[in-house]
Amino acid sequence: MIISCRWLSRYIELPADLNLLVQTLTFSGIEVEAVKPLPELPAGVVAAKVLSAEPIPGTDHLQVCSVEFGAGEPAQVVCGAPNCKAGMISVLALPGTELPGLTIKTATLRGVESRGMLCSERELGLSDNHAGIIELDASTPAGSSVNEIYELPDTILELEITPNRPDLLGYTGIARDLSASLGKPLRLPPVEHLPGEPSEETALTLVLEDPLKCPRYTARLLDGVNVKESPQWLKTALVKSGLRPINNIVDVTNFVMLELGHPLHAFDYGKLQPLDPSDGHPAVVARQARPEEEFVALDGKNLRLNPGDLVIADGRDASALAGVMGGKDTAISAATTSIVLEAACFQPGSIRATSYKHKLSTDSSYRFERHLSPHYVDLVSDRAVQLFLETAGGKVCNELYDAWPEPLKPRYLAVRPCRFRQLIGYELAGEEIIRYLEALGCEFIQYGAWIDGLIEDTSLIHCHHLEEEKAGKTEFSEIDCVHSLFFRIPPQRVDITREADLLEELARLAGYERIPRKKEAPRIMDRHAFRIRRGIEDWFADASFHETLNYSFCDPAQLADLALEPAETEAKLFRLVNPQSSNQSAMRITLLPQLLDNLRYNLNHGERNLKLMELGKVYLKEGDSQAEYLSFAAVLTGKMDPEHWSAAGKAIDFYQVKGLVEGLLRLLGVQETNTAALERPWLSAGDNLGFYAEDRVIASCGRLKTRVAQNFGIDLTLLKQDIWVIELDVDLLIDLTRGREKIFRELPRHPAVTRDLSFLIKTGVAYAEIAAAIKAVNPDLIRDVSIFDQYLGQQVPEGFRSMSLRIVVQDSEKTLTDERVDQVLASVREMLFRAWQINMR
Amino acid sequence: MQEQLREAAEQARTAIAACQTNNDILNAKARYLGKKSLVNSLYGKLKDIPPEDKPAFGQAINELRAGIEKLLAERELELKDRLQEEQDAAQAQDLSLPGNFRPRGSLHPLTIIRRRIEDIFMGLGFEIAEGPDIDDEFHNFDALNTPPDHPSRNLADTFYLENGCLLRTQTSTVQVRVMEKYPPPIHIISPGRCYRNDKPDPSHSPVFHQLEALVVDKGVSMADLKDTLQNFAQIMFGEDVRSRIRPHFFPFTEPSAEMDISCVSCQGKGCRVCKNSGWLELGGAGMVDPAVFKMLGIDPEIYSGYALGFGVERIAMLKYNIPDMRILFENDVRMLRQFSGEVL
Repeated sequence: MIISCRWLSRYIELPADLNLLVQTLTFSGIEVEAVKPLPELPAGVVAAKVLSAEPIPGTDHLQVCSVEFGAGEPAQVVCGAPNCKAGMISVLALPGTELPGLTIKTATLRGVESRGMLCSERELGLSDNHAGIIELDASTPAGSSVNEIYELPDTILELEITPNRPDLLGYTGIARDLSASLGKPLRLPPVEHLPGEPSEETALTLVLEDPLKCPRYTARLLDGVNVKESPQWLKTALVKSGLRPINNIVDVTNFVMLELGHPLHAFDYGKLQPLDPSDGHPAVVARQARPEEEFVALDGKNLRLNPGDLVIADGRDASALAGVMGGKDTAISAATTSIVLEAACFQPGSIRATSYKHKLSTDSSYRFERHLSPHYVDLVSDRAVQLFLETAGGKVCNELYDAWPEPLKPRYLAVRPCRFRQLIGYELAGEEIIRYLEALGCEFIQYGAWIDGLIEDTSLIHCHHLEEEKAGKTEFSEIDCVHSLFFRIPPQRVDITREADLLEELARLAGYERIPRKKEAPRIMDRHAFRIRRGIEDWFADASFHETLNYSFCDPAQLADLALEPAETEAKLFRLVNPQSSNQSAMRITLLPQLLDNLRYNLNHGERNLKLMELGKVYLKEGDSQAEYLSFAAVLTGKMDPEHWSAAGKAIDFYQVKGLVEGLLRLLGVQETNTAALERPWLSAGDNLGFYAEDRVIASCGRLKTRVAQNFGIDLTLLKQDIWVIELDVDLLIDLTRGREKIFRELPRHPAVTRDLSFLIKTGVAYAEIAAAIKAVNPDLIRDVSIFDQYLGQQVPEGFRSMSLRIVVQDSEKTLTDERVDQVLASVREMLFRAWQINMR
Repeated sequence: MQEQLREAAEQARTAIAACQTNNDILNAKARYLGKKSLVNSLYGKLKDIPPEDKPAFGQAINELRAGIEKLLAERELELKDRLQEEQDAAQAQDLSLPGNFRPRGSLHPLTIIRRRIEDIFMGLGFEIAEGPDIDDEFHNFDALNTPPDHPSRNLADTFYLENGCLLRTQTSTVQVRVMEKYPPPIHIISPGRCYRNDKPDPSHSPVFHQLEALVVDKGVSMADLKDTLQNFAQIMFGEDVRSRIRPHFFPFTEPSAEMDISCVSCQGKGCRVCKNSGWLELGGAGMVDPAVFKMLGIDPEIYSGYALGFGVERIAMLKYNIPDMRILFENDVRMLRQFSGEVL
């Protein structure tokens, strides 16, 4: 719903701070979807009277106008608007005026000078209407301030009204809710019921045939009305709420709909046919449509109605599709002198079905679909009558015709403070409950013993509940828990039928921010470490490693078997005072010896392809204190893949072992690593590699020395296979990856180009060095460098190897031309030649 | 004329449907669309047609030709597909030969069980806290209300290190450390290694794994303890499992209890596993002793809590029917490999 703050402030004093208003609305359940400021218009925008308007020859729509604007000589202005005519009062923007996105200048159009511009509502930022220039109330003096006319500055709010709140579909409803949440008084418009003059001549026959679909129908007659344009205040109000002024009668019905939230309709009394031609009174009949009944709607559409559609008919034909749209034949026109004002209430389901079936959704159907109360129908009618008399004159004939077969009964509902505490989570005192609910229009009746659901009679309320309690009949033993407050529910709140509904009202008016956080529990768990640890275990288990678990002890003699210096290890070693045996006499400082023991055990059982791992703690003495680190080690031997009939298996090689580490680091998101050969006394000199993050080793891999294997009782020469070792610093990996979150990278919009390069290179130059140098040639465009072949065969001269690289070039901004790719490749070749004298093959 | 066209179309359709080889298709194409074809001759006749009929006649021939072309193309594709299918069928392989994949390795059964327990407790709202294996007498004994002369402190029961530290005998040390560091409410489990100076035998190991749960909050009662035990037992061992607690003694809980579950082997009827009692002992539990709270600066008048703990080995042995605890530390791949097939 679109609302103007200035209009809203007629019914309630709004906070001076717009943000506070927006917050209050949003946090009481009325979401502010958009805030649109309507700033004051510049001084050069004034009301102006079009004195004359003459077509400019040779143009189809331009007119040259003489415009009086309250100061000096009338201005000559060229205007192309279709509704521009002599005598009208419009709005003129004088040269030099800054409008939103537009500066007015003196201009010459088709050889005619134009000193200013007559404006549409859109040009002033008032609405989207650009069908023509503004037509102000004809009584507006030229030169009047447009800011006063349009009550500027103002702010327009776009509110989302949830479907359970039909009472918020009008300004006063929103004001009532605000009065509850702001604690400010509500100022409803004073409405007085005017008794009509008895009239036999201007009278009506009202028949309500279908009280299910139309619980209440009222009609009021006015005679001698003068249909004309609306006064300016009325036009202004409608324009700001997004409606277009039509005439005073229609505008008043729309105004009252916006103000009170209840749609109205006016018929031309003179066009209504009697039921029985002999008795002569025009009739209004709320009935089901006849099969295939034809109806021409206000917008000119021909509709074919059927039973199921509720129509408001005269003595003969449908004059309105009830609650959805009026009919063309009985619409108010300039010639109308007597009107029938309909204020009624329709069943939501029926309105929804009809609106859906005929694809007609109107401000009226929107409201009736959400269930309006029949209770206020007469009040709404009175308000409209009051405004009709004010804007159109005439007189009211007869009393209100009111068909209301089943008037509403009062509804009472109990709410328990203890239930509020239980459900919402904090105490709300009885006085506060009363204050909030009374501000919503509820009426506090009394305290009493809890009754579930709506009651219609206050005599059911028991003031004393102690008797039931003594008899053990109540569910709660505490007095508080049967202690409840009874309220009369206001008729417009058709949505409130249970205690839960009242609790919701209280919770939102008091503010969800008042709900306390129940338990501020400390965050104890290191979830990141937990995930990384599981990630490492799963990576290796997926790569067909078996996890082992060994005691936390070690045999100090086995450290020497690893070729570690005894003096070095002794300083780190924690010895037990009471070990069970010498080979379990200290805390382990590495996982490797036990894994090698496990390997030997399983080799001795005839297993040949083995991959074992352990992730566990090692315990190091650091000076006087102790440190426990999470470590990981794996040993593997034999073939990487199991035997298969389709291919002979291949023995594990260095690159497979390295790949396991690289794959893991990629999984964990560790990118910035360097690799370099690593001194480990148990690894053979050639095949070992350390992965460094800055200067710390996070991972290593390599081939176990034959001699070390021998120390652990494994004879590699006999076995004819190698043993490979992987070790990880788990704690360091956890630290390195902490706080790192995966971020989706936008997919490239432009195709990548792949080019291959083959060349000879001196042995001794590392691939990684070449790849990095190629990338560095143009890091923006060279996305990837990879090697897809290496050859050291007969055709390759001694001291060289042949290398084939694949280079992926891609521009994130545009599609690369062949020319550009060639340029990049040329630079790469040039660099390769310069750095290593490489010539392409 | 119309009749003639229809007849020609029908004739072509029959002939094309009868094509069996690519050659047939070529012949049909020559016969129905080639130089001597009816279609071609009809184009020749076009000049003799009265001008007013020419467009309609021309369109009719065009349609005839397009129709024949379409039929030929469709038949050609059909024949191609058939040929392909025949070739494929001729190359049939022995589909019963085994497929090729790299089998998954395995997590150790104790890891699998530990993870399952962790996941159950995390689902119940617990967090995981860990602590050091090497600890001091304060955290392992004093803070847990163990008297200075308690026999569990003996060298025969507890491993000590040269520097006076000890290897924790229970993960309750983590409870102490968490309560030292964090204010309530606390909902944690602490899994980890523990050490006791027991010789390895079918039901003992000097190194073993324990898992303890600790809850400290306002209004925590023994009923919450029973709830957690029952929830855990059912999720771990099945919906039919029952649990109970029996009075017992631990220095750091008051009241203390031992937890039993109905025998998972005989469903409580009595068997060798449960020594005909129908019940299996799971571990210890109890309400945190007020003395423990006081020592850690938590007001036992405001807060209460429960702790329960059990051995991971025991759960694994019950769950997987492993008869001897030593099997779990042998790391025989013939045992480990059996757990490749366990989905977490």
